[in-house]
Amino acid sequence: MKTSNQLLLLGMLSALPVTVPVADAARPDTSKWECKSCPVEQGWSGSVDVGAGNVSDKSAAFGEYNGLFRNGGFLVGDGAMQFRGPDAYYWNIYASDLGLDTRKLNAEGGRQGRYKLLLGYEQFAHRISDTSMTPFLGVGGASLTLPPGFPGATTAAMPLAASLQRMEINQDRKRSMIGASWMPANNWEYSFNYRHETRDATKRIAGSFFVYAARLIEPVEYHTDQMDIAASYTGGRLQAKLAYSVARFRNDNDALTWQNPFAVPAAPGALSGQLALAPDNQFHQVLASAGYQFSERTRVSADIAWGRMTQNQAFPASTLNAGLAVPALPASSLDGRADTLDANLKLTSALTQRLRLSAIFVHNERDNQTPRNSYPSVSTDMFLGIPRTNLPYSFTDDKLKLSADYRLTARTKLAAGYDQDRRKRTLQEVGTTDEDTVWGKISTRFTDKVDMTLKLAHGERKGSNYEPVPGGVRPPENPLLRKYYMANRDRDSAGLRIDFAATDAINVGFGAESSKDDYSDSAIGLTSGRDRSLNADVTWIVTEQTSLHLFANREEIKSTQRGSQAFSIPDWTGENKDTIDTVGIGVKHAAIKDKLDIGADYMVSRAKRDIKVETGAANPAFPTVSASVDSLKLYADYRLKDNVSLVGSYWYEDFDSSNWMLEGVAAGTIPNVLTFGEQTPRYRVNVVRFAVRYRF
Amino acid sequence: MTITKPLLAALLCGFALSVGLNTRGAAAADAPAPPSQGTAYTDNGADTCLMCHAAWPYPILPIFKTKHGQRDDPRSPFARSPGTPFAGLQCETCHGPGAKHAGSGDKNAINSHKPTSFLPPEERSKVCLGCHENNARTGWHASTHENNGIACTDCHRLHVERDPVRATASQPQVCYKCHRKTRAEYNLPSVHPVRAGTISCSDCHSPHGSTSDGMLVKPTVNQTCFTCHAEKRGPFLWEHAPAAENCTICHHPHGSVYHARLKKNPPLLCQQCHTVSGHPAVARTPAGLPGGSAGASGFLLAGGCINCHSQVHGSNHPSGVKLMR
Repeated sequence: MKTSNQLLLLGMLSALPVTVPVADAARPDTSKWECKSCPVEQGWSGSVDVGAGNVSDKSAAFGEYNGLFRNGGFLVGDGAMQFRGPDAYYWNIYASDLGLDTRKLNAEGGRQGRYKLLLGYEQFAHRISDTSMTPFLGVGGASLTLPPGFPGATTAAMPLAASLQRMEINQDRKRSMIGASWMPANNWEYSFNYRHETRDATKRIAGSFFVYAARLIEPVEYHTDQMDIAASYTGGRLQAKLAYSVARFRNDNDALTWQNPFAVPAAPGALSGQLALAPDNQFHQVLASAGYQFSERTRVSADIAWGRMTQNQAFPASTLNAGLAVPALPASSLDGRADTLDANLKLTSALTQRLRLSAIFVHNERDNQTPRNSYPSVSTDMFLGIPRTNLPYSFTDDKLKLSADYRLTARTKLAAGYDQDRRKRTLQEVGTTDEDTVWGKISTRFTDKVDMTLKLAHGERKGSNYEPVPGGVRPPENPLLRKYYMANRDRDSAGLRIDFAATDAINVGFGAESSKDDYSDSAIGLTSGRDRSLNADVTWIVTEQTSLHLFANREEIKSTQRGSQAFSIPDWTGENKDTIDTVGIGVKHAAIKDKLDIGADYMVSRAKRDIKVETGAANPAFPTVSASVDSLKLYADYRLKDNVSLVGSYWYEDFDSSNWMLEGVAAGTIPNVLTFGEQTPRYRVNVVRFAVRYRF
Repeated sequence: MTITKPLLAALLCGFALSVGLNTRGAAAADAPAPPSQGTAYTDNGADTCLMCHAAWPYPILPIFKTKHGQRDDPRSPFARSPGTPFAGLQCETCHGPGAKHAGSGDKNAINSHKPTSFLPPEERSKVCLGCHENNARTGWHASTHENNGIACTDCHRLHVERDPVRATASQPQVCYKCHRKTRAEYNLPSVHPVRAGTISCSDCHSPHGSTSDGMLVKPTVNQTCFTCHAEKRGPFLWEHAPAAENCTICHHPHGSVYHARLKKNPPLLCQQCHTVSGHPAVARTPAGLPGGSAGASGFLLAGGCINCHSQVHGSNHPSGVKLMR
């Protein structure tokens, strides 16, 4: 269906008859509603937690995001405060984890209904690895050098025992935020928000010389500024918004240079290499949105956003190998530009009390205007290659979603829909894919205590001819390959949900989902996928003082792919199967009414990934990739006085994992790859926290 | 524990039977008068309601510490000087005319906003949208949540000092009530920091409606990801086509068994699309593990393909066509 037809259909739907809104109850005389019993308070109120805690063991995996990566003591600092003053002046201030490297402090204030101020500071500590080792010097900088004794022909010939140093890979984000909004009249609001973020420290990367590679540390010194301004209008039937946003990313490091740890006789000039790091970029976007209520039963809403991504960072040199005579580059920088257009139009109309129709049209476009040029190419600083022309990819995605829901009885509702998704890609193997999906759903209340919902869907995706890209990958891909995100595909999915109120105090929920993908036209590449899950939840109000919550989930994700070592018909198969089991229980208990509250949460997660690669030869199976978590949290709140409590918690977590990509792989295990010798994470950590909570 | 076609067929039959029974029952039964709220307001507003509800087991008075309880905002339910049609009706702004309920004590004579209310979800949400259908909520109608019978108060709590769904650390627990599979995914070893309470679901998702897949806060997946991962925006000289199109082609947005939320371990992940004659086409078997018959393989271990092709999100290096510089 062409876009014009889709719009025509939406237009026809919008012309459907509408009904007159039902009159609301007459507004009463409220002049004598004094609200004398309303406990409206002015001034400051809130609570502050101050205390201390201890982490038993140092672990980057345990403290990956929570700030508890060090062993030893830490300060507890949390709070929630609010101010209510005359004339609707107010402040809400929230602080959490002030004693950790992951901390937040946010404040909102102003005069309610007139203007609002927002202030915030947030810090995120991301611990990536504390078991990695490297012989490189200058970690964290833009130039990595090697100590004496390098290079070596293989990792075995390198003086690793004397040169490896343990290092920590981590990133810290710091965000400062300021914002304001102003409501000069009832219907209008103007807002401004600005966020500045810095990211410091390091992350993993790698560099290679032909088949000799080294895992490297990339310096991270990123700065991102994000600013949004908006004006919005909210009238009786019309809501509208006009906004502009700009995001600017800067990287203090243009490139990472590293000394080649391998002696490569075939290319004696390949002494060091250089990786381009993330270039500075900008994104500007203008957005307009509106919603209009034609009647109580018919509504239309629309958004449109024009954006432009630009990137013009100076190119690094084609090679650091002084022995290679490289032709001049066609430009000193990319002058990269991609325009985006995102629009949607949604119409929903209740034709009758029982029947509602909706139609949604969505258009997303990334039009890459980056100039195409032929670039001289150097293969890993060793050999001159043939010049290559860049492929600035563009995408267009048009979706039409039509649906109807019909209330069959007071207890049963039916819904059905048709989704069409047309994607166009440039400079890729498939120019256009069309996916059509039909779905149906029934929600019914079997009895007063049992609700069930079942949804079934079937989708078919067909693409235009699968053809090699002129000037694309060299040497070419196997002609039997069908890249899975563009390949013809049938997808069947089903979802079932049952909620059962066993008693007034016990609620049981059950869910099952299944999705199956069939890429029957793909001889090479992904050929099938399947995702199945079962879950159950139980909430039980045992007594007025005690409540219980249990949950369990099992999910299996399986896929099959085929390849060809002979670059011909398929001669090997790869199977991947993830199995994820999670069980948890939580209990809350008012041990002493209005005095002591206690609780516990226990969660067990077992996840594994089984991989089989069949070539026809007798291969042993890959060891299972696995991760297991046992987590117990206990907490208590003991009220010493009306406004003072002692709060305490204990957290025990045991994590174990195995991953054959890392296990047994020391820095020098692979002859031609110098790795970090990183170990799979394992930890057993205890955390205790005690604090005094003061309420005011 | 698999869902088989016979099971699905049985379930469909069960549903059909239920529909039939419900339809027949609805037609045949002597239908009692449906619950209704009435149209008369109380005589004294909140003072009438609080005669019973001030000491209610479910504490309601903290609402006076929230914006809804602000008396000096003309838009507020408790406004002294109402400035909008809905303002100043105190409890009855949200719960509707309460005279019938106050007189009878009948819980079906008031909009309790609870899931057990006699009012359907759309009627319960309509009250909220009367004031809040602005900015981010213009797309609520026909959104995924609205279509699935979710009412505003299924997620929001208004009588507490701080609504749990509006606080980063507590929001996921609210979402997990329905999104149970997602809770399990966030207990996997490679996740976004939701379990740590650092970010929450609404940093990426727009629960009040969005036309993007997955109800995202931005129009596309990648624009959403770039709000935190701006360094991957580009455009790059040498783009990796799936990375430029949609991050979820390779990454699972919630959690994965393997590093960086990748859907598969390299090299199998990469070999779904890269089959060039030579090393990309070779089946990597356990023979390449340490101690294996082929010796420890750099194509399989540590980063696998990433050991050399490290610039998988794109490269700005003139010699980076293979994403190796």
